[in-house]
Amino acid sequence: MSGVPARASPAVQAEALYLINLLLVPGLAFLLLLLLFRRHRNSTDPLVRGHVRQTVAASLLAGLLLAGGPALMVLTGDLSRPGVWIGLVLYFVCCHGTLVLLGVFGLARALAGKPAAYPLLERYA
Amino acid sequence: MKYQSQAVAKPYFIAAIGLFVGQIVFGLIMGLQYVVGDFLFPAIPFNVARMVHTNLLIVWLLFGFMGAAYYLIPEESERELYSPKLAMLMFWIFLIAGALTILGYLFVPYAKLAEMTGNDLLATMGREFLEQPLPTKVGIVIVALAMLFNLSMTVLRGRKTAINLVMLLGLWGLAIFFLFSFYNPANLVKDKFYWWWVVHLWVEGVWELIMGAMLAFVLIKVTGVDREVIEKWLYVIIAMALITGLIGMGHHYYWIGTPSYWQWWGSVFSALEPIPFFMMTLFAFNMVNRRRREHPNKAAVLWALGTGVMAFLGAGVWGFLHTLAPVNFYTHGSQITAAHGHMAFYGAYVMVVITMISYTMPLMRGRAANSKTAQVVEMWSFWLMTVAMVFITLFLTAAGVLQIWLQRIAAEPMGFMAAQDQVALFYWMREISGLVFFVGLVLYITSFFIKGKEAPAG
Repeated sequence: MSGVPARASPAVQAEALYLINLLLVPGLAFLLLLLLFRRHRNSTDPLVRGHVRQTVAASLLAGLLLAGGPALMVLTGDLSRPGVWIGLVLYFVCCHGTLVLLGVFGLARALAGKPAAYPLLERYA
Repeated sequence: MKYQSQAVAKPYFIAAIGLFVGQIVFGLIMGLQYVVGDFLFPAIPFNVARMVHTNLLIVWLLFGFMGAAYYLIPEESERELYSPKLAMLMFWIFLIAGALTILGYLFVPYAKLAEMTGNDLLATMGREFLEQPLPTKVGIVIVALAMLFNLSMTVLRGRKTAINLVMLLGLWGLAIFFLFSFYNPANLVKDKFYWWWVVHLWVEGVWELIMGAMLAFVLIKVTGVDREVIEKWLYVIIAMALITGLIGMGHHYYWIGTPSYWQWWGSVFSALEPIPFFMMTLFAFNMVNRRRREHPNKAAVLWALGTGVMAFLGAGVWGFLHTLAPVNFYTHGSQITAAHGHMAFYGAYVMVVITMISYTMPLMRGRAANSKTAQVVEMWSFWLMTVAMVFITLFLTAAGVLQIWLQRIAAEPMGFMAAQDQVALFYWMREISGLVFFVGLVLYITSFFIKGKEAPAG
């Protein structure tokens, strides 16, 4: 893990795809991330392995949080009540913003050639 | 501190912090007036408290930018400031003019103040954020031009770097766009159209250049990363800021009587406006991750990282939240705007000025960093103010969603004041968060007076 990796390092690509999945093209970027994961999940370079595994796991968690949470609120709450909308808006904005920030931290670490661990996913590296 | 003349930044920073305290005090007064309508009435009516709160913000940030420029530009140009005496003269002119203006707001009825200060000659008053009397506006122009002359001469005679050129470009832009505050056409649409050339092109245009230059300067100093790496980032960030921010101004033109194509231009370009803030966060964290030295001033590093995160959240995320025309149709002018405004100003501009103060003040006082105890207190102030601002934003967002629902979506829409009554709980919680913010600010000021073993100047 010495020195700064090339911009095209799979570690950097994985973090970038995690962010693109959250910000620009959800789904498509995740598919590309899965391809990267297939190729590098058992990489001998712990930096690449760690970033690739972490980003896939974090993307799955993000999908669950961003789709599951609001779905639960919509299904169990009464959308004609403004309180449900307050909860929905605050939940989605905070959750999405936090996930993006974690991706930025991960990408900054990858660009600097350092490992990153998403909260609650440290073991999966 | 490499050059003696950099010391002129110190009084600018002290004045900035003093005015910051005033801004927060008036914010707390106004926050209470939201729920206790006649609090301090008639001594300080709501409209006056609001005007003082927002004007103090602008003035103290300007003091901060000027102080930062007077510190940064000599060091980047590798020479003494062209005229430290001129810088000090401008400091006193700006401080006295600013103080007189605030006293005028507080003790003279606004219409009388307009009459007394020559508004009949050239009507420029009575517009949000540009309430300053004509002599104050002229004073701002004189102070800005003298500062630009002083700084430009310093740069022209010294080393040109990306950082001092971007800083100078930002400051020139600040002065040039302020000239639109003198243009006040009778047509209300035109008035608002050009009003945004000051307000938007400052905060979502040229101020971002100033912010980027300040952040880059501090990051070079505290990380030891190569200048060329940091300057490349700075170029890309300011290019993105200008590309997105200039046409992104269209998001203010949706509903003011301008052609409907602004709904497309505004939506598309302002949806891209989070990009420079996203890049600034990435930039700050990347540089700190690649640092070649452990700078003893850990508080300054914390403020620099915090600037990236909070600017991204406040300006980027909360800006995007209500920037698309179909969403803005509902959210326009609601507490959602206030939520965005609070976090964006704090994250982008308050924090970057404090970053600069945090890095330079110990150097101007003859040491590389403050004592460990002082830094711990300063970092406590960072967390208290930042977490309080997050909660202020969340409570205002909640208030905004409820307000929009009650006023604009419900089957039987409520009037403005009736809806305000319904969101009072969130205003109370915002006020409590504001008090926590104030405690953080008091701690921040206290940190300047804490002694202990200090890191010697390098």
